[in-house]
Amino acid sequence: MSSDATELHLKGYLILKRAIVVFLLLGGGRTCLAQESPYFVTYDHHLEEPGNLEIETYATLGVPRSAQSFYIAPWMETEYGVTARWTAELYLEGQGTAGDNAVFTGWRIENRFRPWKREHWINPVLYVEYESVSEASRIQKEILGGGPDVRSPNSELQPIKNHELEGKLILSSTVRDWNLAGNFITEKNVSRNEGFEFGYAFGFSRPLGTLASGAACRFCRENFIAGVEFYGGLGSTASGVGVRDTAHYVAPVVSWQVSENSSIHFSPAFALNGLGSPMLIRLGYSYEIHGLGGKLAQIFGGRR
Amino acid sequence: MWRPSIGTLFAILVGVAATLGQNTGYQQDPNWRAPDPAAARPNPLADKPEAAAGGRKLFHRNCVECHGEDGSGLAKKHAADLQLPVVQGQTDGTLFWKITNGNTGRGMPSFSKLPELQRWQLVLYLRTLKATAAPEARPSPN
Repeated sequence: MSSDATELHLKGYLILKRAIVVFLLLGGGRTCLAQESPYFVTYDHHLEEPGNLEIETYATLGVPRSAQSFYIAPWMETEYGVTARWTAELYLEGQGTAGDNAVFTGWRIENRFRPWKREHWINPVLYVEYESVSEASRIQKEILGGGPDVRSPNSELQPIKNHELEGKLILSSTVRDWNLAGNFITEKNVSRNEGFEFGYAFGFSRPLGTLASGAACRFCRENFIAGVEFYGGLGSTASGVGVRDTAHYVAPVVSWQVSENSSIHFSPAFALNGLGSPMLIRLGYSYEIHGLGGKLAQIFGGRR
Repeated sequence: MWRPSIGTLFAILVGVAATLGQNTGYQQDPNWRAPDPAAARPNPLADKPEAAAGGRKLFHRNCVECHGEDGSGLAKKHAADLQLPVVQGQTDGTLFWKITNGNTGRGMPSFSKLPELQRWQLVLYLRTLKATAAPEARPSPN
């Protein structure tokens, strides 16, 4: 092996070693919150705990109709609990279509605010998002207006960039261990005049076990949450508001708390009409780092 | 029109988060009081002390980060010492209400996402932390 190669090897080893140290300091030594929401589209009123960072990777797989192609649209979320009543998130998303190419479709920054301090029968949360995504985006975190274009090739869709502001009113309630949540969504494309687009999402879910066992266990019922969500578009002020000419889905959802700080999510979504993809398969994995702010302070010698 | 770069937006977000994400100091909040009907609720698991084992697991998942392994409260988090008579003297219903609602203005999140029985299990486990608390403490509503 040459001296250059040895030097590169050593540098790589040092970088890897530092990365492992940072990972262990950040997340390796602490257990974290269970009971992640199983929904993919619907938001409930539970925010990230202050100081916690959750890293999530998801994918939406679109099963095609005739004249459509199979696609996979992965996205990554980093969700941080700024305070007990404010959670901020950054999204990065992409898309790959069979017989076409794979593209980075853009990014989003969202914030959720909980205006009320206490739990109420109905708990509102205000959601504000700014997104810079191309027309090729197919993650379908929400269905808006007439839904995404899943027929046109990426070469036509990717150059069309959208800068959009999105707002949601999230209403959520806990009734006898059931979560009931409804989201009313509106979006404005500030890049061009498309009017306001609207959408909705509703969901209900419940843990399969409500009493925690004393022993550590991976397959206990308490580690699973199951439910159903419904979502779709409600048209736009430009093309007409209503439930026609837009996609609607019903989707069973399940999440499994695999370990103390990670969970797996799964949801097959079935189209309720002939628009959009006939079926979406959604998969996700999330990993939570507790007390990120304090741990960063430890690493850099600051005060927390 | 101004189109901020992703780096600019993220830098602003992190800056604001770093400013607001810190707890300024723990003090008993006189306004954090359970309503009387909530304070009077009995623990449905009171006759099942074995359920405290599950409460211990939940405590380690959800509470240790701020309240410490023994519940004595981490100074840097300004978290309450759960062994103190001022905490142990509160009724089961009050502790359940406080776990459910949190005190979001003071950094204590709501744990209503936990099923109701699991919140009662937490209350059951909190009582086992009483060992170092004053034995004469009598439960009071808040």
